Amino acid sequence: MRARLIAKPDVLRIVDLLRQEYEVLAPFRGRGRDTFFEAVTKANRDRIELHLPNPYYPPKRYVFPHIEKLMRIKQTDGTYELQPTLDETPRAIFGIRSCDVAGIDHLDRFYLGRDYRDTYYEHRRRNLFLVNVVCTDPEHDIDENCFCVCTDTGPAAKDHFDLQLMDLGDVYMAVAGTPKGESLFSDPVFQPAGPEHVERRRAILAETRRRFKTMTSWFAATVRYVSQGKILDKTWQEIGSRCLECGGCTYVCPACTCFTVSDRRVGPGEYERVRLWDSCALHGFTRMAGGHNPRHAVHDRRNRRFFRKLAHYFIQRELSMACVGCGRCVAVCHGDIGMPSVVEMIRRATVETESADAVAR
Amino acid sequence: MPSPADNIYLPKLAVLDRVVDEITDVRTFFWHFEDAAEQAAFRRFMPGQFAQVSLFGVGEFPASLPPSPTEEETFFTIRTVGSCSAALHALQPGARFGVRGPYGNGFPMDAYAGRNLVFVAGGIGLIPLRSCIIYALAHREKFGRIQIFYGSKTPQELMYRPDLKEWEKAGGIECHLTVDRGDDGWTGHTGVVGSLFQKEGVNLPVENTTAFVCGPPIMFRFVIMDLKKLGFEDRNIVSTLERYMKCGVGKCGHCCIGVSYVCVDGPVFTFEQIRKLGEEI
Repeated sequence: MRARLIAKPDVLRIVDLLRQEYEVLAPFRGRGRDTFFEAVTKANRDRIELHLPNPYYPPKRYVFPHIEKLMRIKQTDGTYELQPTLDETPRAIFGIRSCDVAGIDHLDRFYLGRDYRDTYYEHRRRNLFLVNVVCTDPEHDIDENCFCVCTDTGPAAKDHFDLQLMDLGDVYMAVAGTPKGESLFSDPVFQPAGPEHVERRRAILAETRRRFKTMTSWFAATVRYVSQGKILDKTWQEIGSRCLECGGCTYVCPACTCFTVSDRRVGPGEYERVRLWDSCALHGFTRMAGGHNPRHAVHDRRNRRFFRKLAHYFIQRELSMACVGCGRCVAVCHGDIGMPSVVEMIRRATVETESADAVAR
Repeated sequence: MPSPADNIYLPKLAVLDRVVDEITDVRTFFWHFEDAAEQAAFRRFMPGQFAQVSLFGVGEFPASLPPSPTEEETFFTIRTVGSCSAALHALQPGARFGVRGPYGNGFPMDAYAGRNLVFVAGGIGLIPLRSCIIYALAHREKFGRIQIFYGSKTPQELMYRPDLKEWEKAGGIECHLTVDRGDDGWTGHTGVVGSLFQKEGVNLPVENTTAFVCGPPIMFRFVIMDLKKLGFEDRNIVSTLERYMKCGVGKCGHCCIGVSYVCVDGPVFTFEQIRKLGEEI
């Protein structure tokens, strides 16, 4: 079996082992609700926490940074020298949640799939080690916005991690997801696990699932309605009218992939080409040189975001949905059109049209 | 590990050879890759494909490929509208810029074998169709009748005038021109491009015919209406779409319409596909 036990006071031993090979990123608590991933140092190592609210700024930035240098461009004697800036730093994310693991799996399928492989993503991803932590603490790990039980991405990731940790109360259970993860088990800090621990894991997961407050049980139906184009313009307009076009939902989303590219001057005759996260919520997203913008109304853009995330075509193409149930869009949206609200608005609108149809008949 | 040559975002250096003025704000830029092997590989593009053009320090933009792979020279024809196209227009022969590609599906030329080809272009809409026209003429025996219907606002706004002259004279191709407003020197047809279909002697074929339509949105809408009235089926009307693009390889998300990425699923679509995109083009 690929499962082991690690005593609670020893769990940061994993961080120490990983730090021999990797830059380790781990979750820390700031003030109030604020939590964040940060590089582990000797100074902050003891402040790492495994039970805390999931940081809003998703760890996807370690494979797809908010601003990423693509190349340095040096102008010399009327020509240019292009130096690609590929980041191959070995990194380990310690304490990544299951929803964010699913997010990275989605990015893998998107950036590395189809005809072209994204070179920059590939270099970062190849050198990434993931230590997933299962959400078990209903006070700290899970909040009222979480809905991974609806997207089938949590509370325990089933795959795509190197190592998975789960709090069994008095001890952590460690499960290896890859040979790289399993090789850690040679350290004496890991003890064998027995059938009673597996049973306890099952019981805790069952109990945790019952603690989720947001149940978007209409998800599957929404996917069908969106895919079939059955959602009324009126509903998209209603959703669009609540969008403040801040782009927040896309910036906190662990599965959003869009970017823009920009050149900037860094010195005399020296430039950098960078890519930056972009957002379909913003008006300029589809504006072409010359001013023509095929997507001018705000509800066209909201329609776009939810269509991209929920249309069956994309789910089938990537074999994963571009929503992982992390609930961040719910938390940041000032207009209350995070994913669960949109599913609910679509459900309500459809109930209305269907009852109207029945009367008309 | 992939070599830097596999970096899908890394442009290759190109040298600007010469610049030809076309119409107001539109110029043709002849260029070649610094690396001869790169040039040879690039020249295997298909009509209808496009490339990403880099002006270092300014940015990158998608540009149609107006040359046919059957021609020797590679060039872009660009209207100055934004910062990148303005920077390209400011370059002098000998200057370096970046190109990567070719990208996109292109016209499935083999699928048109044995068919009549009708090209309908308005204004700078002739740029993406030029490649296809030249290619068809280079393989003249493969196709049925070839007709060109091209219109612009004024005689001064007609693109590729040396080509137009040749097409008007050449056998095996029927070239019909029109302008919205003629001038003293204009002896040709006046009116919108769709009005050419009714001109005497045109006899526009419909059976076994593919129509290629490119031009401003308003012209596109009316030409489609005209063609449909004549009996063209949606699947036999073809166009190439334009979108804001940052990558050209299906990753940046800007050009996605409905479920289709213009950069990899297009830019060539049949009107049947365009109708199903589910968004405004």
